[in-house]
Amino acid sequence: MTGPIPSVALVGNPNAGKSSLFNALTGARQKIANYPGVTVERKAGHASFADGRPIALIDLPGTYSLTPASLDEAVTRDVVLGKQAGEKRPDALIVVVDAANLDNHLCFALELLALGLPTVIALNMLDLAERDGLTLDPQRLARELGVPVVPTVAVRKRGLAELLEAVDEAIRTHQPRDVVAAPRSDASLHQRARALARAATLSETPVRRWTQRVDSVVLHPIGGFALLLALMFVMFQSVYAAAEAPADVLESGIGVLQGWVIDTLPDTFLRGLIVEGVLAGVGAVIVFLPQILILFLFILLLEASGYMARAAFLMDGLMGKVGLSGRGFIPLLSSFACAVPGIMATRAIPDEKDRLTTILIAPLMTCSARMPVYALVIGAFIPARNVGGTPIGLQGLVLFGLFLSGIVGALLVAYVLRRSVTRGNAAGFMMEMPRYQWPRARDIAIALWQRAWIFLRRAGTIIAMTTVVLWLLLSFPKAPVGQSQVEYSVAGRIASGLEVIVKPIGFNHDIALALIPAMAAREVAVSAMATANAIDASGDEEAMAETLGERLQGKWSLATALAFLAWFVFAPQCISTIAITRRETNGWKWPLFMVGYLFLLAYAAAGITYWTAVAFGLG
Amino acid sequence: MTALLDRAPLGVAVRVTRIDWNAISVDEGRRLREFGLMEGCEIVPLHRGSLFSRDPLALTIGRMKIIIRSRQAAAIEVEPAAA
Repeated sequence: MTGPIPSVALVGNPNAGKSSLFNALTGARQKIANYPGVTVERKAGHASFADGRPIALIDLPGTYSLTPASLDEAVTRDVVLGKQAGEKRPDALIVVVDAANLDNHLCFALELLALGLPTVIALNMLDLAERDGLTLDPQRLARELGVPVVPTVAVRKRGLAELLEAVDEAIRTHQPRDVVAAPRSDASLHQRARALARAATLSETPVRRWTQRVDSVVLHPIGGFALLLALMFVMFQSVYAAAEAPADVLESGIGVLQGWVIDTLPDTFLRGLIVEGVLAGVGAVIVFLPQILILFLFILLLEASGYMARAAFLMDGLMGKVGLSGRGFIPLLSSFACAVPGIMATRAIPDEKDRLTTILIAPLMTCSARMPVYALVIGAFIPARNVGGTPIGLQGLVLFGLFLSGIVGALLVAYVLRRSVTRGNAAGFMMEMPRYQWPRARDIAIALWQRAWIFLRRAGTIIAMTTVVLWLLLSFPKAPVGQSQVEYSVAGRIASGLEVIVKPIGFNHDIALALIPAMAAREVAVSAMATANAIDASGDEEAMAETLGERLQGKWSLATALAFLAWFVFAPQCISTIAITRRETNGWKWPLFMVGYLFLLAYAAAGITYWTAVAFGLG
Repeated sequence: MTALLDRAPLGVAVRVTRIDWNAISVDEGRRLREFGLMEGCEIVPLHRGSLFSRDPLALTIGRMKIIIRSRQAAAIEVEPAAA
């Protein structure tokens, strides 16, 4: 018998271990896309039955009921009801419940059973339930619910074959059944769920004391906060320390590749395009892959272990003061790697105004793309000595100050926005604190690979394209002998026009020229200046940055350098961020607002920095 | 003897006697019920606030730990559970 491939949706509460189960079932054979029209991620994959027939699986966002409170929860409802545009209603459901939290998770399961689709319950994380002192009776639960219940331990791949077999059976033997309607009121639903959970529980010994002890440290008003700060400190240290070696390898790899192209191709237009345009530009960005991956590794580990919800708890007080909620902490933390995934992570924030404000301030978090700019200018203008007699380096301190300015700026902006354009209800904050868990290497690896892929795709498309365009603009029209190619080129002339606007805040022609391509990606500012300074970019990036730094020292005043740094704290120019904001807010209004306010702030910050510095005689 | 949850001492089990559903938004109310927090249930407030404020409040309900704000906790009336 051959028919269409059956499609099965995994659905369940948050923290039911749904994604781990999905990973265990599909392995790395996953495809992440967006549902058309909405920006919620659609995770799909394939598995096969024991006899080799394929089965299509989708992993739906976790939710508590069919009444959604946020965008991704709405997708779950629409898919299981068959109302999601462009998505076939699934042929069957795998309802994933946490074996240790049946009281709660069976509520949603009852609601889903009432839909009448072929359904199998995955009694997941049975091992953790046993660790918590629970002994359960899956058969009893199956009898009570009238559908198969399969115990699974996703991490150890236990119960997977049985689960798929039960799904197969459920689809083949399914007849429209007399559906027992789910109890109407929340109270009776919970009562029914509790009764079921009690019936399925053979014995229960109260344990989990250690979790409580851990939490009393982790959530301690002062100690917990200190621990959070220490973790953040270690995270940022590792991002810069541990990424150095792999970044060097990538860098020299690109250098070798450039050398190979130069040796292989004749000196033509095409060679210039490949070596100075594509390889130099894309290479300058790919070098940051290790940093981004390390940051994501930390974020994924914090999330998988259950710590992230604790961090949100600790940060909520502070964020509540400016009208945000602890929920916003996770997206903002991700924005230190890149604002794009950060902004995408805001989907979990239920309050619309709270979410919008978080999106608008996300670009103020110092993303990794700003690092090359900071590194270049700090290296060239800030002396490498220690502050007073302390072991704290002045350069590092300036870097830290730039990070801090972004954070403080973000909080102030949020405060103002929440009292003006994004005024609304006081943001609520309700979330479940998941149990502590040991992160699974496999799940982390899959998620990390997905991030890396998204980043590389971006580097290969948008960044490659802009560098090529910039290279063309800088190379044409050809300057007559005796005139500067950069000044004479199209890009040079545009920069001369822009220079009029940015001159008052101390910016020169170099900077004006760099600001335009930096719209594509901030780090392009560095390679743009390098090209403009007519430095041979075929060497490795570090050597280039060094000589570029020396060139800048001769051409810029300290006041200009400081103003340039201040500009980049607020720098709005990144097309990807603008594009993702447009997608996430469904229109041009908010991205334009964001760009506008960021430009104003950047201009003001650079101006004030410049004028102050000049007043102190640094001009 | 009843008290409001936002003032309840930490670490002591209490029973919810009344929730002023009008004092919180419809969505918030529904999420509370989805967590299983409704009249008659037993909860233990555990952690309150951090360095910067008395918000939020972490509590256990059944086998779950949840976080709410003190504004919502102020709408929840509780009594000692031992009774």
